[in-house]
Amino acid sequence: MPMDIRLLRIDSRLLHGQVTTNWAKVTKVSRILVVSDEAAHNAIRRTLMFQAAPPGIKVNVMPVAKMLSIYCDPRFDFFRVLILVERPRDAQRLIAGGLKVSKVNIGALSFDSSRVMVTDTIAVNQEDVLAFKWMHQHGIQLDVRKVSGDNSKDLWKYLKDKKLI
Amino acid sequence: MTRREKILQYLQSHSGTASTGLTTNEIAQALDILRSNVSKELNNLVRQQLVYKLKGRPVHYLPVTATKAVANTTMADHPQLEQAPTIGFAGQAKINSFPTTEYDNRNVFDKMVGSHASLKSQVEQAKAALLYPPHGLNTLIIGPTGSGKTYFANTMYRFARAEGLIKDQEFATFNCADYAHNPQLLMSHLFGYVKGAFTGADEDKPGLIEQAAGGILFLDEVHRLPPEGQEMIFYFMDHGTYNRLGETAKTHHADVRLICATTENPESALLQTFVRRIPILIQLPPFNQRTPKEKLQLLEQLLTLEANRIHKNIRLNEDVVQALLGSVTYGNVGQLKSNIQLVCAQGFLNSIQDENEIILKFEQLPTNIKDGLSNLAGNREELGKLTRLLEPTMLIKPDAQRDVPQIDSYELPYNLYEVIGDKAALLKDEGLDQATINNFIMTDINLHLKSFYHQGQFNKAEDRLNEIVDQEIIDLTKQIQHFLRQQQYPVRENFIYAMSLHISSFIKRVQAGKPLREVSANLISLVHDYPAELKMAGQVKELIGKHYHIPIPESEVYYLAVLLASLQLAPKTGKVGIVVAAHGKSTATSMSQVVSQLLSVNNIAAFDMPLEMSPKSALLGIAQQVKKVDQGNGVLLLVDMGSLSTFSEKLTDMTNIQVKTIDMVTTAMVLEAARKTALIDSDLQTVSHELQEFDGYSRTPSGYENKPSVTETANETATDQRHKAIVAICSTGQGTAQKIKNMLDKLLIDNLIEDVSVIPISIVNMKERLKQIQQEYQIIATTGVTKPDIAAPFISLESLLQGGSEAFINMIDQLSGEDQSALMMLEDSPQVAEQLAEKYLGQYFTFINPAKIIKVLDSYCDFVERRQQLTLKNSFKLSLIMHLAGAIERCLTHSQMHVEQKQIAKLQNNQLFQIITQANDILRETLNLSLTAAETYYIYQLIDTEIQK
Repeated sequence: MPMDIRLLRIDSRLLHGQVTTNWAKVTKVSRILVVSDEAAHNAIRRTLMFQAAPPGIKVNVMPVAKMLSIYCDPRFDFFRVLILVERPRDAQRLIAGGLKVSKVNIGALSFDSSRVMVTDTIAVNQEDVLAFKWMHQHGIQLDVRKVSGDNSKDLWKYLKDKKLI
Repeated sequence: MTRREKILQYLQSHSGTASTGLTTNEIAQALDILRSNVSKELNNLVRQQLVYKLKGRPVHYLPVTATKAVANTTMADHPQLEQAPTIGFAGQAKINSFPTTEYDNRNVFDKMVGSHASLKSQVEQAKAALLYPPHGLNTLIIGPTGSGKTYFANTMYRFARAEGLIKDQEFATFNCADYAHNPQLLMSHLFGYVKGAFTGADEDKPGLIEQAAGGILFLDEVHRLPPEGQEMIFYFMDHGTYNRLGETAKTHHADVRLICATTENPESALLQTFVRRIPILIQLPPFNQRTPKEKLQLLEQLLTLEANRIHKNIRLNEDVVQALLGSVTYGNVGQLKSNIQLVCAQGFLNSIQDENEIILKFEQLPTNIKDGLSNLAGNREELGKLTRLLEPTMLIKPDAQRDVPQIDSYELPYNLYEVIGDKAALLKDEGLDQATINNFIMTDINLHLKSFYHQGQFNKAEDRLNEIVDQEIIDLTKQIQHFLRQQQYPVRENFIYAMSLHISSFIKRVQAGKPLREVSANLISLVHDYPAELKMAGQVKELIGKHYHIPIPESEVYYLAVLLASLQLAPKTGKVGIVVAAHGKSTATSMSQVVSQLLSVNNIAAFDMPLEMSPKSALLGIAQQVKKVDQGNGVLLLVDMGSLSTFSEKLTDMTNIQVKTIDMVTTAMVLEAARKTALIDSDLQTVSHELQEFDGYSRTPSGYENKPSVTETANETATDQRHKAIVAICSTGQGTAQKIKNMLDKLLIDNLIEDVSVIPISIVNMKERLKQIQQEYQIIATTGVTKPDIAAPFISLESLLQGGSEAFINMIDQLSGEDQSALMMLEDSPQVAEQLAEKYLGQYFTFINPAKIIKVLDSYCDFVERRQQLTLKNSFKLSLIMHLAGAIERCLTHSQMHVEQKQIAKLQNNQLFQIITQANDILRETLNLSLTAAETYYIYQLIDTEIQK
């Protein structure tokens, strides 16, 4: 049994209020793994992640390669985790690298000039769309929810409505 | 018949007609009682004036009855008997002597230093507690370590005796820490048990409560009583009845006055139901809150105790008195007592030829006590008051009547001076010169007395040890430690860890029926070089065998001997010290303060140099700081510029301490230096070398970001491709080392370090094995019972178990230094935090203008901080600002968060929730936006989660 992934979430802001006050609690994880090549090499972002850890929950920040390497290492099998990535592309890399999940939760993807808004909080560019497409083709459900109590919406439907796929 | 009575009786019947008396050894042999115990009892008898001590060495003892019968003279007429002891300053012609009876029976509290000044109200409380009809009131004494709680309790007891409030019986004391891990055993000690209550209960046995009936029972360290123990005691307080272990009904009754003592805050350390049953709380002040006069009196009193033991006068100058008083830091009177014992032992040794007097010289004091002088000098006012009370020279004479009862934990279980005297004589017979002898014995004295300094932290570490080793084994190890010390075999502090781990793995092996370890020729030849250890190992083996009732194979003796030898070899685990010296009024101080707070380390000192200061006085000042932080492993001097960088050699000459200087100090560098030296036993050379290559974590916030791979790839190509390893060493390679491996493996996994292996090895063939390992692995650290001679930092067992695991990970995880530095920058500088907030607001949000909104959100944070009376960390404010911005944007896009109504309803009366609702008005007034209750709920959750941390 590989480690227990309770939630894989894509959110530009990685670990922030919605995760600390809601997801960390409802998923009952003991650890939050922040997977981002960029944050792993940025002391300020790393430190902010550690500081935002909810009480009793450990936070680790690591690049994608390290996440894949510990996922394959049986010594870490007992972990019960919530994984945060900031880009659809990173989620795709993890799943392609072997991570077993049936759905991906999407929180917020922030807007910039290369992107278009598909919901109130989710903006995508071409690369993001390709990643979502890949995940959809691999049977991964794309669940849009800010917090666990929201009604789940399917991102695929929004992308279709916007004629992005 | 008690031991004391036996000794007295033997003395009376054997001292014969002559007034020669008997020596401690003679009595010990005749009665088959340990020499140290005989010595202790004899001293007690002397104090009770049942026995006289005769002058000369070895000391002869004579029962009072014998002297009366033989000589029928007064003491003064008997030139051989020791002088009636007194105290006074040099030059004082008359000696005050008090009629014994009057002195003893008058209000015993009057003798207590400070009973009419800083302890006045405490003494009144104590008297009230004891005199309250009909049976007095239970009392709790609260005071920091070493403030004299036991002494105070004992004085209460003697007061009660003198006033006839309690029956004529011994003062019953019980240290709750002794049985804190075993409530059943604790209960049986306090309440007794009946035959058959448990295996081994062969007969009825009364408990302490029963023995103390009609008297006083003193429960020391009462916070260590487990809750069930506290409940049992308070039931007894309420009803006066109890049952022995194994009885069902509470049929026994006893009137016992309880005096409890604790160092902790009773609000948090004790059950409230327990505290409520104790009507009198007596708070003892720490040493530094006593008046200068009292401090001096305490010093005199404690010196008199030593004078009584040595039977010589003690002479000391003003500066020694000041140094001793200034040397008291956290440990209060207890620490003063230990320090006095140390310097007296040293003085005794140095003046061993002088029959009448020992002199304590400032130059000869150990460094930590010398430093007391500068500690004191820091407080001008205090120093001034003290100086007015001091004479240039103080002379302390022995005075049996000023004795205080010796039942506290700062008292050594044997007479140190006799040990020193005997040992010095022995070494002299061997033809050693005085300097060598002194050197040798001082090492010993330091070992004996060091225990006090480690008491505080030791308990903590032991708790940790307790997680991996059974308490039974720890207790057994303590017995062994005690035994070895009695045998004059020096035992270091790391003994408890190493030995208990060793025994634990051995016992597990035996219990699991695993084959016993074989003894290799290598092992035998190794042990051959350590005959003393082999001999001790044999006796330790016996002790273990006796405790477990199992035969221990002969082979174990060799392993034990190796363990003992390697513990002796273990180096001092002193850290490399750090002195920061920089120009400017407070530059150096503020750098070192930030770092020592951040990493809570104590090996940093600072020296500020205002521009007008001459290099010469700077050098002197720095030398003083160097001495202060040196722990025997050298000192790193971090300087800013100029003349400072040439100081190394001069400092080494002046202080005899190795000093390395590094230029261009920054806070980040101090941080890195502290990190590299903290808890980890790396040497000065390595640290200074590494620091010279340290080019700082980048100094601007933007520099912290996106600065990846350059260093990483460079490192990877530069360093070798070997796998990383930590080597754990114990005598067998299978016991302790394996345990350390398990512990470290867990730690590594917990910190997601997957590329470091832990390799357990044995001391036997250690060098060869290390070479082998190095071919395959890059050894990044070593730990265990001994430090191997390789270029990698060593982490001692005790620092690993004392919470050094964090430092350990910091050392392995290269990024942690950057993290600490980043955190420091963030928390120290509001500008950096604001800059970041603005940047992130721009990056993550679409509709809001960062520059415009940030002030509004800042005032929102301020409002919450002020109203809720809390201080939010900058990093959290940043999170909160981001969350608020999100809420505002959701409000703008009408996509607010949802939450069940009943969750919100629950919070309607919550104070924090109301404050947040009021804070929302700030947004309404400035931005004309109203947050929904659900959004308010999430803001509440975020702040509440932070407060809970």
